[in-house]
Amino acid sequence: MTDVLAAEWRKLWSARSTRLVLAVVAASVGLMALLAWYAANLWDGLPPARRSTMGLAPLPGLLEWIASLCFAVLGVISFTGEYGTGMIRLTFTAMPSRRSVLAAKAAVVGALALACGLAAVAATSLLGRAIIGGRTMRGQPTEPFLQELPQLGAMGLSITTFALLGLFAGAIARSTAAAVAVLVAIWYVIPIVVNNVPAPWDERLGSVLPGALAGQMAGTGNPYSVGGSLLSPLAALAVTAAYVLVPYGLAAAALSRRDA
Amino acid sequence: MRGRGAARDGRTVIDVTDLTKGYGGTVAVDRLTFHVKPGRVTGFLGPNGAGKSTTMRVILGLDRPTAGTALIGGRRYGEMRHPLREVGALLDATAVQGGRTPLGHLGWIARSNRIGRERVAAVLELAGLAGAARTRIGRFSLGMKQRLGIAAALLGDPGVLMLDEPVNGLDPDGVRWIRGLLRGLAAEGRTVLLSSHLMSEMELTADHLVVIGRGRLIADTSLGELAARFPRGVLVRSPRTGELARLLAEAGAAVATGAEGGLTVSGLGAAEIGELAARHAIPVHEVTPRTASLEDIYLRLTDGATEHAAGRAER
Repeated sequence: MTDVLAAEWRKLWSARSTRLVLAVVAASVGLMALLAWYAANLWDGLPPARRSTMGLAPLPGLLEWIASLCFAVLGVISFTGEYGTGMIRLTFTAMPSRRSVLAAKAAVVGALALACGLAAVAATSLLGRAIIGGRTMRGQPTEPFLQELPQLGAMGLSITTFALLGLFAGAIARSTAAAVAVLVAIWYVIPIVVNNVPAPWDERLGSVLPGALAGQMAGTGNPYSVGGSLLSPLAALAVTAAYVLVPYGLAAAALSRRDA
Repeated sequence: MRGRGAARDGRTVIDVTDLTKGYGGTVAVDRLTFHVKPGRVTGFLGPNGAGKSTTMRVILGLDRPTAGTALIGGRRYGEMRHPLREVGALLDATAVQGGRTPLGHLGWIARSNRIGRERVAAVLELAGLAGAARTRIGRFSLGMKQRLGIAAALLGDPGVLMLDEPVNGLDPDGVRWIRGLLRGLAAEGRTVLLSSHLMSEMELTADHLVVIGRGRLIADTSLGELAARFPRGVLVRSPRTGELARLLAEAGAAVATGAEGGLTVSGLGAAEIGELAARHAIPVHEVTPRTASLEDIYLRLTDGATEHAAGRAER
């Protein structure tokens, strides 16, 4: 298993799509800093009376949303990129245990998404704090950075969940287009639909959306997104685990049943 | 590379037994049985769509057989701990991701089977790709990808090699290189199974042939035996052709006038023809026993398979 892990790590690290996705995430952090800088300038130009009404959505949450899609696509491509070129046969010739390959891919993609996701949301938070400084805006953190860490940790988990969902969808669908379509539906389309479902189901369904789980795991809820806030942190963690484990089981069954 | 004692004891290394593989309603491989011995190049020959690639995929554990078994050294491929150290395969040289360099590509393959870095450098050198080790594979020509695929197959220094149409896209130098390489590997005692749809390639590379058509075995034979099964008479040239033809016909031979002006004689051997001519003092300029070209034999064999969709084709 260590050999399979090491091989998959090398494969992931030497793929062009990995460098591309990491570059897009890094650029998105820069975009968040630009947004903070723009808001700070706007705040400075406002008469003091109106400053209290100005708001800016929490930047780490925004970055989490972008990074979730980026790493979901990375997860998808780490399987469909091999199916599309036919290299999957070389992979399964070198490593005949398909379940080991799946587990190793999940481990390396998950680890990369977690590490880079955490780094990206933490960097976004720190940059936002440094740029916005003492200006009081709705939506911007008032607590010290260290107290924000549980929230940022939950965001890292949520980004990782999307990466793994992408990986398993890629293993099952074997087609980049199909798997990315599924992930975009989970990431954007379904939340919009859920938002328009009559109450109380909008809140109920909105609470189990993958994008809504980070806020609930951290106990802050989702005041700035369509996500609901009905789950306790533990329940949100359990739903997150289900989002990973159920597709993992389906992908493992599909891989071992089908011809490569 | 380490040598292997050439086995001359009739041991087989790849054993395909009653193998059947169907996809939906179509049968790609139909009760196929053949055995591949070490120490020689076995050509795996058949028209496109005959089931060669499917058979190779089943041997490599990629496709699950509908029935029957395919074993390497008595084991299923999936049971091997470090399969690349035992079996090297090249299925489709273009099935690689273009974003990596040969170093990156061979690097992960080597790591997966605990093969050292020095071996990566060695096979790149062997395949003539040492100078392109850091070039993106996406820029490679088909011939360079074939060389990279062969480098990957040799990475684990395996005792068994299975190559699917490896000369496609290679230039004449490349074709000669791979021919020499495979013959050398077989001479070291390794087992080499080489698929092709071209008999002309097999004539120069293979010692033994397994011919299939429509998923069934047509012939499992040496090249010499195959040629001997399809004699095409004796070419005779003489300045007194008409007289000789009459004498040969009287002696019981079937005589045809060849396109080149000579006679094609069947039913009598070269020695008998020569003696007959000498007895009648007819000068003879050429007496050449001819066999059908292997290409012709192959086409006849596989035509039979498509027409009757069964068994061995007879002439």
